[in-house]
Amino acid sequence: MEKSRNKKKNYRGYLIMTGLLIATTTMAVIFFFGFYIRRFTQKSDTNQYDNYYIMIAGDTNSSLWRSVYEGAYEAGLSKNSYVDLLNDFFENGYSREDLMRIAIASEVDGIIVGADESDEMTELINEAAGQGIPVVTLYGDNTRSERCTFVGIGSYDLGREYGREVLEIAQMKHFSTQAQDDETQVEAEKRPVRVMVLVNAYAQDSGQNILCSGIQETIENEKQEGMEIELSLVSIDGTNTFSVEESIRDIFMEEDLPDIIVCLNELNTVCVYQAVVDYNKVGQVNILGYYDSDTIIKAIDRNVIDATISIDTAQMGKYCVDALTEYNTYGNTSQYFIADIELINKENVSLYLDGGDTEDE
Amino acid sequence: MNKKLFAFNNISLQGKISSIYIITSLFVCLVNILLILGINRMSKELELVYLDNLNLNELSAALKDVQTSMTDYLNAKTSDSLEEYYRSSQDFLMLVEELSDDVSGTFYERMKRNIKHMSAGYLEITDQTIEAKRGRNVEKYRVRYENAAQLYDYINTYINNLNNQQFKYNSENYTKLTHAFHLFETFGIGIIIAVIIMNVSMIVKLVGTIISPLKDLSKSADEVANGNFDIEILEVQSQDEIGVVTGAFNQMVINIREYIERIRHSMEVERVMKENELMMEAHLKDAQLKYLQAQINPHFLFNTLNAGAQLAMLEGADRTYQYVQNMAEFFRYNVKKGDETVTIREEIELVDNYIYILNVRFSGDIHYEKKVDKSLMRVEMPSMILQPVVENCVNHGIREMADEGRIWVSVYRTDDVACISIRDNGIGMSKETIDKVISGTYREEELAAGSNGIGMDNVIARLKLFTESEDVMSIISEGKDKGTEVIIYLPVREREEDDV
Repeated sequence: MEKSRNKKKNYRGYLIMTGLLIATTTMAVIFFFGFYIRRFTQKSDTNQYDNYYIMIAGDTNSSLWRSVYEGAYEAGLSKNSYVDLLNDFFENGYSREDLMRIAIASEVDGIIVGADESDEMTELINEAAGQGIPVVTLYGDNTRSERCTFVGIGSYDLGREYGREVLEIAQMKHFSTQAQDDETQVEAEKRPVRVMVLVNAYAQDSGQNILCSGIQETIENEKQEGMEIELSLVSIDGTNTFSVEESIRDIFMEEDLPDIIVCLNELNTVCVYQAVVDYNKVGQVNILGYYDSDTIIKAIDRNVIDATISIDTAQMGKYCVDALTEYNTYGNTSQYFIADIELINKENVSLYLDGGDTEDE
Repeated sequence: MNKKLFAFNNISLQGKISSIYIITSLFVCLVNILLILGINRMSKELELVYLDNLNLNELSAALKDVQTSMTDYLNAKTSDSLEEYYRSSQDFLMLVEELSDDVSGTFYERMKRNIKHMSAGYLEITDQTIEAKRGRNVEKYRVRYENAAQLYDYINTYINNLNNQQFKYNSENYTKLTHAFHLFETFGIGIIIAVIIMNVSMIVKLVGTIISPLKDLSKSADEVANGNFDIEILEVQSQDEIGVVTGAFNQMVINIREYIERIRHSMEVERVMKENELMMEAHLKDAQLKYLQAQINPHFLFNTLNAGAQLAMLEGADRTYQYVQNMAEFFRYNVKKGDETVTIREEIELVDNYIYILNVRFSGDIHYEKKVDKSLMRVEMPSMILQPVVENCVNHGIREMADEGRIWVSVYRTDDVACISIRDNGIGMSKETIDKVISGTYREEELAAGSNGIGMDNVIARLKLFTESEDVMSIISEGKDKGTEVIIYLPVREREEDDV
């Protein structure tokens, strides 16, 4: 009697359990797949942003610009604004001017552009300003335009940093040539230390000019007695694609190599570095680089590049967004934002090697 | 639930089996429907994957129409192309307005927003161009046309890029979806297999539940067939056909048990009746005996004889006196010891008296000799044993022979048994007769003359009762005219008080 009752109970439990199991499994599978489908058919970030800013980079391949963009992007998110790097939208290599036109036609809330002093750029910036779109010039300025802010680095200070570094290297070179002369007993005239500054062929870049004068002035003012330094500016043609690398190779093809090469952008630095290695001129040609990409930092660690400049890119990006936000809110903002720079050489390179982004230190 | 289960128990066997089939089929059906719905939904999603691309293509085509029609109008200024331009720009505007204006976190959405704004600007410029053309402002429309063409180029590139990127993304999605689809299929098949397995086990279990009372029933029926009616009454678990059969079987077993009980009872009654009958017979016999004893009043006879003896003494007839005195003794024994245990001595004395009487009657025909072990004189035995035996010797052994008869009585001990031997020299007995006498089946004619009415069978029966053993008497006869010896065996049980 009891047994049969148990049997019945078991059977009832079994029935209920089977039903529940089948129902839950089926439901679970269907819900799981529903969720799975929705997850990639619905876009992940469905936030809405108040402002839409466009950044147009001078050179998208350089990690400097990437890094600045990252900084601007992060800063934008914190202010509920979205920053897009417009160069990424097009794979067909539109020029900065084309991108400016597109940005203006897109009626965005603000443009951050790596500008230069060209008339066309001035015109475009003015056009944008005319349509009520604030323009921030980043890294390269267009002083004659109606841009609201320039965010960059202190070119003159940077020039002074380079100048001091050049002097240090020149001094070392000077002594070592003296020693060499003594050893080899060669009666030689004192040879001036030749410094070559690679400038953008487009000389209307005011920042570049200021930087060069900074170098020049520092050398003139601080060089030791009896040391001769010969400073030359060499234009690198950056207007065509791939022309930078060719121009730099051209320098190394010549017999008369400079003692120190100062590079004023990231691409030049990498090209010179590669050329020095390829032409086996390590130690003979000293390089002062620009920006602290991984390649450059490693090169410093290997004693190929003597020093480079670290720019607080996150800060730069943040300044851009801050300026645009401020302008959009108050109709006005500061004319200049200068990002921090730091010199990296053999002495402190380990900080950057180990810790990665330790620019704040 | 209980009620529901109750209801399940109450439906017929056919109903049960059908309901199991229906329930399991419904399970499979339900799961299939759910899976099909899921698959349906997924294929719809698959169809939707490239919807964005289609929309963009449409947009691109509409843009191209605008540009072409505008160029046509600028070239030829035909009213057809103007009409075409207005129509296509309207179409394009409609498509553009569908695009979202929000600044979304999603890349494509932002691109679409840009396209929307650029297109609005483009349409404005084309309108202006057309206006300029109509106003024959050559310089203006040429510049505007160039602007429009440039913007057209930008928008087209924009759309193409978006289309490309979205196509890439959608292709990835498509691959993922297809993968998910296959996964879903596999899962679906897995679920169906699981459902089928569960169904099968459920059917097996349910059918087992239905069949189990039948199994119990068949087991019980087997027991009953083997003759064991003492089985447990089966529980009627359900109201279906099996339940009915189980109930009927239970009733049958109960009925059979009742019948057996009844038969046993009537057999008991019959036995008691038979016993009663036997007792009646015994009582009858007893009554018969009492009747026989009552026929002669021994006291009267004894007193009468005593009076005769005194009379004979008074007359000086000594032999008569002796005879009557012996007679009186004989009867007194009968009166006194009718149903008591006596000693061997008393029995021997009775035999002495009896033979004296006979010798007087038959003028001293019988020679009587006795040889007695005095130590056994006090051994107990039932009364009226030896006299009937001696009487038999006289009646059947001696009376019919020509020579003078002799009777030897001896009492002796063999181990622990006291033996009383009574031997005559009469005609002897045949073996058959001896057997009949010993087994008690021999019937002499009732109450022969001179007998006191006690037959050999009675003697043997009383001896058996007294000694509580079967071996109480043996009769030895060596054949015709060779005499007969009757030996009585008694256990040596002596009487306490000396009874002289």
